[in-house]
Amino acid sequence: MKMTNRILQLAALLLVALSAFAQATDYRDIKTPPLRNFNPPQAKRIQLDNGMVIFLMEDHELPLIRGLARIRGGGRDIPSSKAGMMAIYSQSWRTGGTKDKTGDQLDEMLESRAARVETTASDDSTTIRFDVLKNDLDFVFPIFLDLLHEPQFRQEKIDLAKTQANTGISRRNDDPQGIIGREATKLGYGADSPYARQPEYATIASITREDLLAFHDKYVHPNNIIVGVVGDFDSKAMEQKLRAAFAKWPRGPQAPPAPAGGTAAKPGVYFIAKDDVTQANIAMVTGSGLTRKSPDYYAVAVLNEILDGGSFSGRLMNDIRTKRGLAYGVGGGVGAPWDHPGLVRVQMSTKSGTTVESINALKQEMSDLRTQPFTAEEMATAKDLILNAFIFTMDSPEKVLGQQMNLEFYGMPLDYFRNYPANIQKVTAEQVANAAQKYVHPEQLALLVVGKDKEFDKPLSTLGTVTPIDITIPEPGGSKAQSSGPAVSNDEGRSLIEKVRNFVGGKDKIAAVKATHEVSTINTKGPQGDMTLDVDLTTVYPDRVHTVLHTPMGEMTMVMTPEASFMMSPMGSQDMPTAQRENMQRETRNDTLSILMNADKPGYTFSAVGSEKVGDVDAKVVEIHTDAGSLKWWIDPATGRLLRKASTVRTPAGPAEAVTDYSDWKMFGGLNLPTRFTSKRNGEAFGSGEVKTIEVNPVVDPAMFQKK
Amino acid sequence: MRAIRIIIGLLLIALGASAQDLASYEKRTTVRKLDNGLTLIVMERHEAPVFSYATVVNAGNAQEVPGITGLAHMFEHMAFKGTEKIGTTDYAAEKAALANVETAYSAYDTERRKPVGRDDAKVAALEKAWKDAIAAADKFVVPNEFSKVVDRAGGEGVNAFTASDETAYFFSMPSNRFELWAYLESERFLHPVFREFYKERDVVTEERRMRSESNPVGRLVEQFLETAYSAHPYRQPTVGWPSDLASFSATDAIAFFHKYYVPSNMVVAVVGDVNPAEALPIMEKYFGRLPKAPQPDPLRTVEPPQRSERSVVLRETSQPFYLEGYHRPAATDPDNATFDVISMLMSSGRTSRLYKSLVRDKKIAVNASGFNGFPGDKYPNLFAFFAVPSAGHTATDVAAPIHAEVDRLKTEDVPADELQSVKKRVRAGLLRELDSNSGMALQLAQYQTLYGDWRELFREVDRIDKVTPQDVKRVAAATFTPDNRTVATVESTKGGAK
Repeated sequence: MKMTNRILQLAALLLVALSAFAQATDYRDIKTPPLRNFNPPQAKRIQLDNGMVIFLMEDHELPLIRGLARIRGGGRDIPSSKAGMMAIYSQSWRTGGTKDKTGDQLDEMLESRAARVETTASDDSTTIRFDVLKNDLDFVFPIFLDLLHEPQFRQEKIDLAKTQANTGISRRNDDPQGIIGREATKLGYGADSPYARQPEYATIASITREDLLAFHDKYVHPNNIIVGVVGDFDSKAMEQKLRAAFAKWPRGPQAPPAPAGGTAAKPGVYFIAKDDVTQANIAMVTGSGLTRKSPDYYAVAVLNEILDGGSFSGRLMNDIRTKRGLAYGVGGGVGAPWDHPGLVRVQMSTKSGTTVESINALKQEMSDLRTQPFTAEEMATAKDLILNAFIFTMDSPEKVLGQQMNLEFYGMPLDYFRNYPANIQKVTAEQVANAAQKYVHPEQLALLVVGKDKEFDKPLSTLGTVTPIDITIPEPGGSKAQSSGPAVSNDEGRSLIEKVRNFVGGKDKIAAVKATHEVSTINTKGPQGDMTLDVDLTTVYPDRVHTVLHTPMGEMTMVMTPEASFMMSPMGSQDMPTAQRENMQRETRNDTLSILMNADKPGYTFSAVGSEKVGDVDAKVVEIHTDAGSLKWWIDPATGRLLRKASTVRTPAGPAEAVTDYSDWKMFGGLNLPTRFTSKRNGEAFGSGEVKTIEVNPVVDPAMFQKK
Repeated sequence: MRAIRIIIGLLLIALGASAQDLASYEKRTTVRKLDNGLTLIVMERHEAPVFSYATVVNAGNAQEVPGITGLAHMFEHMAFKGTEKIGTTDYAAEKAALANVETAYSAYDTERRKPVGRDDAKVAALEKAWKDAIAAADKFVVPNEFSKVVDRAGGEGVNAFTASDETAYFFSMPSNRFELWAYLESERFLHPVFREFYKERDVVTEERRMRSESNPVGRLVEQFLETAYSAHPYRQPTVGWPSDLASFSATDAIAFFHKYYVPSNMVVAVVGDVNPAEALPIMEKYFGRLPKAPQPDPLRTVEPPQRSERSVVLRETSQPFYLEGYHRPAATDPDNATFDVISMLMSSGRTSRLYKSLVRDKKIAVNASGFNGFPGDKYPNLFAFFAVPSAGHTATDVAAPIHAEVDRLKTEDVPADELQSVKKRVRAGLLRELDSNSGMALQLAQYQTLYGDWRELFREVDRIDKVTPQDVKRVAAATFTPDNRTVATVESTKGGAK
């Protein structure tokens, strides 16, 4: 018996010993020891008499020092007429240099020391920061101060920032993700909202150096500024340094409070056409009416984790990506910014052929938040996600400093984050359900879709009345535009126009043209299919046009004069629609002969902007501005042939880019003119034609321009 | 002249006194190679009770061949689908159901891709049978259980990526979850289960649509790489060709996994609040279970020298972009440091040459950069220049100014102060990375994988210090020649922007 006991005891000991070395076979068996006690030091808070608040955080791990000044006042404080100003301000603040040093000189000085002083802007603040090896602090800190107090905003750097901004505008419709991001924000806050500002060429053009200086004067006062410094320094010495720099700075006007959010767009279906994509981008958005300061926030934080928490832990990822394979990217939640109401927003992208299916799935998720009870597992998972990862909000001195500065900026109690875990732990399933009822109203959501609708699984109209949104980028106005192609002539532009004039027949011959009569055959792609028609076009310069189209359905005549514009067909006669008349007027004022005739008049500018291949020819591109609008010509510099023309035309579907290529020149009445052309609209083939004859200065019966 | 030398001398002294020298990091780093060939690295950093890890597998989409392009990336997605124990209600039954899915798919795929004599009614029936088999297997799935376990334990930054050279998995955890991490990370490579494979294939196809197809730069890069490379797999897109994505099977993925996910082809690096004396036995216990297996054959194909200038033009409604690339040797080449210096000279910061010329002075681009390691750097790769023309300028407008700056590299000696500025910034750049557990874990694992020694992360900075103006001239002259160049542009059909 004793033997057995001893064997049993040995066996038990052995088992214990083995299990210490055996790996777990199930994750649930793995013991989690308590996390070691971790109380990261808080930053030292100093308030100066002039209202500036300073936070100092020592960190001796690496010989680096980083500091920043966050200043109240940002994008939401700019009027819509100056939209885009913060981008110009934040760039030229740094690049525009100080009184003694240009931005370029500062670049050399700083980069050779691997140091940085940079400036940024957001909706509610601007920030100037420095990042330096500790031994270079005394070299860099005065630069930081100088830029903070007296930035010069040199004009050449404002112009450079404008080039960047204008380029951004020209590119803003190229990526569907960019489109849906900003357009959903505009729907959620309302297009007039200070939180939905959209820069345009005109607003960028209107920004002056005085605007930037005035903004700086208005906001850069110590009572609007929070300074934070983290790194390898001694707090006492750093405090002395900062007091010496800032204590005598007098107070200034207080920055205004946060503006209200705005009014969300009406619920409904909104559509933006984009054809060069294989996916639809989908967003549902409305105002949340919630800020982070609300006591409801904790329940909403849990709700957001249930909807879209962790890597794949939320309902959206699980249902829409994993279960249904509809998307790679899907996400969203109830937004709660610190000091203004946020947006309720969900977003995804899916192949065009599953667009409506995905929209319905997303709608179901939103209504499920109100109707599908939150399970114990969902609640436990959501809380674990927040609480167990909470250490990562403060695992570096820099992060702790950032937290404290944020609380200060938004006027929150400084122990907010210390209390956060307990507040999350307290949240009940009932509170989360109440939060869903209060903040998630699917019927208020505006649905926005960006994509190629002819490839959708069902028409969007099956979901409701569709409001199309036109995102065409407004052109800069007339010849006063400040786009990067300035509305001034350059020598090369003028000389190229001269070449074209000479190729066509010379200045005198062209000046002698009073009218032309052109007979041609045109092949065009219409909504009904391909059409071939013969055309008789009589133009009496500058502004009378008589066109007869011989179609298989009969003859159609269009007349345009300054007094009246109308159309006649077998069905009768009617006035020409405004859009068509305007198109025709512009086309006539800006047709080749018209431009060549008027090239020397004021108001006509020709600016060579570069080269581009047309077929095999390295053509020169000339931007032309006239009182009838702008267009571009591609000219063969060797011969003076006009190879291609591009302009914007109005079509029923919105403005479109019309590009026409010319070939096969022949002589007509002493003028060398193309007899073949092919046209594209927005990149797609639109039509082509062949000119049979052109009569120069024909006899014209004035009666042809009168209504019958 | 003397003043400059004195200043440079002082700078060098200042550099030498910095804390990021190799010796101090060697003291807190332990490397262990297990019997199965797996390499473990543990670096201590006790600032906060957290740790980060990175597992780097020395296989990327360059290991693929036509027919299975996209498979490396597909497996990366599969690595989140769980194991025999995680993500299932009944593995024994699920295993049989998944085998049925494969049989059904094979029959369906064979019939639907018959070049001659395909029976459409049969295809429809086989497709239905396959989808039914999937539905039957899905019944056992506990969706996303693996990620949920990680998330709930406090996992932060859970992610992975597939690149041409490698596949990497990483996240951070509170330090009391170390054993849980070791279990999960080893289990996912010991007993992966390829559940929900075909649904995930749809997800990856959406990813392709988002990144490559509906995005002008994505389209540009894809066309560029397949032109710059005629033979080497660097020409293949990481996400895969659509035809392959629509065809490959879980069986294919399992074969890829068994071939490449062998411990001798993998490195696991941990950085943070860990004690090697405790951490390494735990890691050995769990990761030691991965079965030893032969190293896969190294890639055979070498890109033949390019002897012609190649050009790709995409005509799009979007605004223009410019991309050009020149072939250069792999990262292990002795001239690698010189290429790094050239990249810094050309495009790091506002004192860089491309910024000054194209962005600041000529205003023809809003950004312009030159960079190495495109698309990878384990094999001979490309030094690329990329520029975004400013409004009103075309892609071809930026070519001549870029080439003018490239020619300067060949004909002018880089001034001493400019070179010194680059070197200082490289050294400070490394310093600034040292306080990130996750950044360091990934770097250590990547350098160990590429060079066989994590210390190369530090030695690389020393090599850069030694680069001379003559090196720059020599390497530039040999590399940046028209016959070695591939150009790809997006030209706007809108006739140039305003």
